[in-house]
Amino acid sequence: MNLVTKTNKYYLIFFIFLFPLMVAADYFLIQYVVNKEVDDILKHESERISFNLKENETFPSSNYIFSTTPVTEDFPVSNKYRDTLIYEAYADKLMPYRMYEFTALIDAQKMKISLKHVLLDMNELIVWLFVTTTLVILLLVTGLFFINQGIYRWAWKPFFENLSKLTNYDITKKNPVNLETSNISEFKELNRIVTALMNQVKKDFQNLKEFNENISHEIQTPLAIIRNKMVLLLESQDLKEKELHWVQAVYQEANKLSKIGKSLTLISRIENQEFTRLDSVDISVIVDNIIGNMEEMIAFKNLEITVKLNPVKVKCDQILANILFTNLIKNAVQHNLEGGYIEILLNEEKFEIVNTGKISEIETEQLFKRFQRGNKETESLGLGLAINQKICEMYGFLLDYSLQSGKHKLSLYFNN
Amino acid sequence: MKILVIEDNIELLKDIKNFLEEQGNICEIATDYKSAFMKAVIFPYDILVVDITLPDGTGLDIIKEVKKENIDVGIIIISAKNAIGDKVNGLEIGADDYLTKPFYMAELNARIKALYRRKAYKGSKEIIFNEIKIRPDNHEVFINDRLMNLTKKEFDILHFFVANRNRLLTKEAIAEHLWGDHIEMADSFNFIYTHLANLRKKITKFGGRDYIKSIYSVGYKFSD
Repeated sequence: MNLVTKTNKYYLIFFIFLFPLMVAADYFLIQYVVNKEVDDILKHESERISFNLKENETFPSSNYIFSTTPVTEDFPVSNKYRDTLIYEAYADKLMPYRMYEFTALIDAQKMKISLKHVLLDMNELIVWLFVTTTLVILLLVTGLFFINQGIYRWAWKPFFENLSKLTNYDITKKNPVNLETSNISEFKELNRIVTALMNQVKKDFQNLKEFNENISHEIQTPLAIIRNKMVLLLESQDLKEKELHWVQAVYQEANKLSKIGKSLTLISRIENQEFTRLDSVDISVIVDNIIGNMEEMIAFKNLEITVKLNPVKVKCDQILANILFTNLIKNAVQHNLEGGYIEILLNEEKFEIVNTGKISEIETEQLFKRFQRGNKETESLGLGLAINQKICEMYGFLLDYSLQSGKHKLSLYFNN
Repeated sequence: MKILVIEDNIELLKDIKNFLEEQGNICEIATDYKSAFMKAVIFPYDILVVDITLPDGTGLDIIKEVKKENIDVGIIIISAKNAIGDKVNGLEIGADDYLTKPFYMAELNARIKALYRRKAYKGSKEIIFNEIKIRPDNHEVFINDRLMNLTKKEFDILHFFVANRNRLLTKEAIAEHLWGDHIEMADSFNFIYTHLANLRKKITKFGGRDYIKSIYSVGYKFSD
């Protein structure tokens, strides 16, 4: 739910609660005021009558008189207001009246005098109150709705623009984000904090990246030395069987480390966009060369290979294209079964490689992560597919893996 | 041949110097930009082996200076940077070859020899080892002057062996020489074994001697 809907929702809830309160308050207030007014009129009338009786000793005429009743001397009634219903013949219905009773002496006879005054029709009052209150509230709601909409559109504009800028922000890209300025202090504060945060994150990311790069290439020279010394040791020829195994193990691990370093360096170079060349690369030539280079391995494993290549030109870096397709084809050869088969298809839309092989234990998504291997016993490092994924990301190729009736199928869709 | 190795890591420098001298070369060294530049300009060398990152400058500048002075010398870059950009730059300003650290000594040696052959003999020189004669540019091998048919990989292995005779070549070094840097093949050692078996068979069939010796289980040595 977005901000404006949410605000409107709360306004609406507020008015729904306010509505009966307003009607009730108005009702009682108006009733109170009207009663008070009527009481004042009746009081005034009673005083006028009392005065006339005392001064002029005549009973004045009055429209308010309801009844005059003689009472005994000790009759206690005096100065009392009450509500009552009186049948009015002209309207043929009972109507609400306010009554005021007082006593006075008329010709030495104590009389109870009742005055009456018609009251408002309360049902009608409620209906009208309801209508007017509804009208007022509707006006308020629509007014607030439009004001809200306007605020949302104009005052929040820089906020939403910044939001879309931040959504598109990519830390690996070098271009900085220029946030929209605003004269609203909260937005100013937000901009300040977000900018500071971005700078910090960028700095950390940069440091981490440089650290990774430095590590992966600073280890290469020491590794070269370790390897050379190990070869010298192996050449010295007076090693015992046990020592030989140790030296061999060190040599192999140093090799592995060196390969890891090189692969990680390659990945970070791809991430850094250091491959900017856009050669028009004929993929079929590349694939053909790679297959040629692996011919003997394919023959060695007794693999049956079918290749269907159409010439396809793709704009990308020649070196990366070579790495990508070498990895893909190499995997199909390496993880294949003795006497299995490979099927390679290349056309304008995609490159597809289907091969027999052991069933991988890890999930497809995991497959593209670093250091993931389908089966653990092989010597491979599991960086090949991660490199492939990076290259594909860079050129917008789509890499898709599926397992179809025991056969591995890797499809690479070009971005067209 | 006379080689100048420019490298700031003393240990690595010692390894390279020893290896190259054992191959019968004269090998001089420089550990920084200044002395390297002086030596490269003043003394005649056949080959320069240049590290890109030096404490007081870059190897690329040395190459530029050497090219500016019109000095005829083969140049091989060795760099830990593994940057394709560096490689392209280096080759563009006139380097002949590029090796990424860590490289195998045998690989460096083979590259130096190939470069020297291209430079000094315009590639026409034959490599002769007893009854074996190799014509690298035609990919031809003769045993007792009889042309022997080899596959491309078999030829590469034999050429690599002859260039590094009497040295231990580990399986890893051979694999990288044959299939390049970015391939990590679990089965590659088996392929090497098969290729070598075939190669041995062919050489003995042509009346050559079997010079390939297995050293422990780590690699092979080509020697009398």
